[in-house]
Formats: sequence, C-alpha cells, structure tokens
Amino acid sequence: MASNNQADDVATYAAAVRAALSNLPTDQSEVLLEDLEDHLREVAAEAEGPLAERLGPPEQYAQELRSAYGAAHAGGRRQAAALHDLRRAVGWVTASAWYRQVRAFLPELRPAWWVLRAYLLVLVITVAFSPSYNIRPIPNPFSSRGLLEIIAMAIAIVVSVRLGRRNRPLAKSGRMLAVAANVLIALIAVPALASMGTFHPFTMVESGGSGQTIQGQQLYTPSGVVTNIYPYSRDGKPLTDVLLYDQDGRALTLDSKTGDATTDYPVGADGQQITNAYPLHQRHLSGDPVAAPRVALPPWPAQTPTVSPTPSPTPSPR
Amino acid sequence: MNQAEVDPTQLLKGVLDLAVLAVLAEADSYGYDVLRRLRENGLDHVGDASVYGTLRRLYQAGALNSYVVPSDEGPHRKYYGLNNRGRKALDQSAQTWVSLSKALNHLLNGRSNGHGK
Repeated sequence: MASNNQADDVATYAAAVRAALSNLPTDQSEVLLEDLEDHLREVAAEAEGPLAERLGPPEQYAQELRSAYGAAHAGGRRQAAALHDLRRAVGWVTASAWYRQVRAFLPELRPAWWVLRAYLLVLVITVAFSPSYNIRPIPNPFSSRGLLEIIAMAIAIVVSVRLGRRNRPLAKSGRMLAVAANVLIALIAVPALASMGTFHPFTMVESGGSGQTIQGQQLYTPSGVVTNIYPYSRDGKPLTDVLLYDQDGRALTLDSKTGDATTDYPVGADGQQITNAYPLHQRHLSGDPVAAPRVALPPWPAQTPTVSPTPSPTPSPR
Repeated sequence: MNQAEVDPTQLLKGVLDLAVLAVLAEADSYGYDVLRRLRENGLDHVGDASVYGTLRRLYQAGALNSYVVPSDEGPHRKYYGLNNRGRKALDQSAQTWVSLSKALNHLLNGRSNGHGK
C-alpha cells in the first residue's frame, strides 16, 4: 500500500472515531484521543490492509475505546442533542486534513502578528488621543505628527517582536494575561481601523453609532473634521439657510456629534428637522453661539457673470 | 451469543489493567507492541482499542510515564513505562488477582471434580 493511501486511511479512520466520541466531555476526549493518529499510524505500519478491516468499523473501535477508558469516564452524562451534533460537527472539522494543515501553518504567521499588533497599538493610541485626526494606513513622514507615529511604531514593533521571541514560557496566569492583551488590542483596533481615512483628501464616512438624533456623515479635510459650512455669495455676503445636497441629491448632513458644540436645527412645516441648512446654528456647551470664522474671500474678476463661479461640475439637483 | 455464556472480552476487561501493567513491568513498550505481547501470552481476545484506551487511562491516572522514540522508518512511537505508582498498583492488583484466582480455581475444581464422578 502506498504510504499516502495509508496516511489517508489513518486520517479518515481517526476522524470517524473522533466523531463517534464527540459526545465525551472535551477534557476527557482530549486526553483519550491525544495521540490516536500516532497510534493508528503504528498499527497501520505493522501490517497490510485497511484499518477498518483489521480493527473493525470505527464506531465499534470508538465504543471499545470508550469502555476501556473507563465506565466512570465514559459517563452517562447525556448532552442535549443539539450540543451533541455540534460537538460531532466540530469533531469532523478538527479531524479534517485541511484543518490540521491550517493549524500546522498558523504558528508560522506568529511573527506577522507581532508586527501587526505593534502597528495596531500605535494606531489605537493615536486615535485615542486625537479623535479628529485623520489617521492613515501609513502616516505622512513629512508631518511632525506622522513622523512621531512612525517612530513610535518602529519602537513598538521592536518591543513586540522581542516579547514574541522570548523563549521563557510564561506561568499559566501570565499566559492568560498575554492572550487577553493580544485579543484586546485586536478588538480595540477594529473601530480605529473603521475610522481610518484613505489617501483621498476628502472622505465621507458613514458614522456608525448615531442612533436617535440626526443621521449624519463625518466630512474630513486633510486638516481635520468639518463641523460646519459657511457659504458666501459672490460679493462676499454671508449666506444663511443654504440647503446643500450631494451628487446624488441626498441632503448633505454633518455628523451632529462631531466637535464639542450642539446644533439647533430649524424645524420644517412638516415637523421634520432640516439638517442640511448651512451654516448650522451651533452653540458651545457653555451656551454661547459658535462664532463664524474669518474668511479670506477671493477677488473676482470684474466681468464674466455667465461663467460658473465654482469649480464644481455638479448642477443643482433641484 | 448465549446470554448465560461468559463473554471472554467481558471477563478480560476486569483484568486488562493488570495484564497491561504486567507487560510494561517486563519492558517499556508502545501501544501496538503491548497488544502483540498480550496476544503472544495467550490473550487473543484483547482488542487494539481496549489496549490503547487502557494505556491512556493508566497514563491519565498517573501510573505510567511516557516518552516518544523517533524512528527512521515508520512513525515515531510513544513508549509507556511503569513509574512508582504503577509498580505499586501492579503489586496490589497482582495480590488481589492471586487470591481471586485461587478462590475461583478452588470453586471450579470442586465443581469439575463433583461433576466428573
């Protein structure tokens, strides 16, 4: 028999035995089946012929195994049928060849995680200390802030890899703590990654959590989040209650939670709040109205009243 | 099988621990080899799963130590051997077995003698 066939035979037989014993409590089945494959390989190497022929059907083998392992261990603790099926399914999966290949390969990815976790940690810290900062996958090394981030990442990666390569095994409690810390970094990084901008100067990000009040978007410029928009007429007069819409005709609404000001929206005749009338009427938390910024208006040429004054190609949707 | 007849595998089950301990007391051994030596000694009805399950249970109970011996041809083998607790268990079980078998032999001899007449 080719050794490949033999290996397949062992894997198939062992999987069937595991599946038949899937209703044993995990700690017991682990101890019992720890080196089942090794043992079956020994058996297979001793003589010719398929295992099922020499050892009997795997279900019967499993039954014998269970009774030899001890009636006390085999325990009459019947589990709910659903749980039994689940264990059986898990048993099939964990015994399958591809699962074992993935399991065998995973440790090789460890160094990649050491680097990634350092990167994510710096990312999380950056977001935590400056929520309005537009984080990028790779920080801009020509800004002092980006440079700082890159240096911090380099240091964190060195430390993280050192921690990872340390051979000294941790005590059980220490190992638990380490696993918890790794999982925590991975979990906290998810919202940080979700708020990550791309390389485009303007990015619209759906704000995830705004539930009860105004559904808005966060509008970014390279210098930060846009919290209000101040339209001016061509001759420099500040406009009020200008309704803004995007390229699809949707009301352009800013995330009302952005910044440390509250927004008073005008209420329409239908009782609905009008959320895209700019500039927004905003108040500081102290109650004082937010003052309009000083702007430098561009000097227009004297004539050309017919040319569109803005570079925007968007025609009015109305 | 006749319900009244004694199933040899059932009979064996109770003393398999003792048999396995005795085999390992001779020399450390791996699963399939334990099975072979049991069969060589006349325990034909013993099954592979029973031996493997017994080895795992005795190991789990702390009666055996184990180590892996790499082999050039064929798979690596997990050897089992008796530790102090295992030797003590073997001594005690052997005593129990000797007195039990004495009693049983006595009973059976009496019966066969009586029957023979």
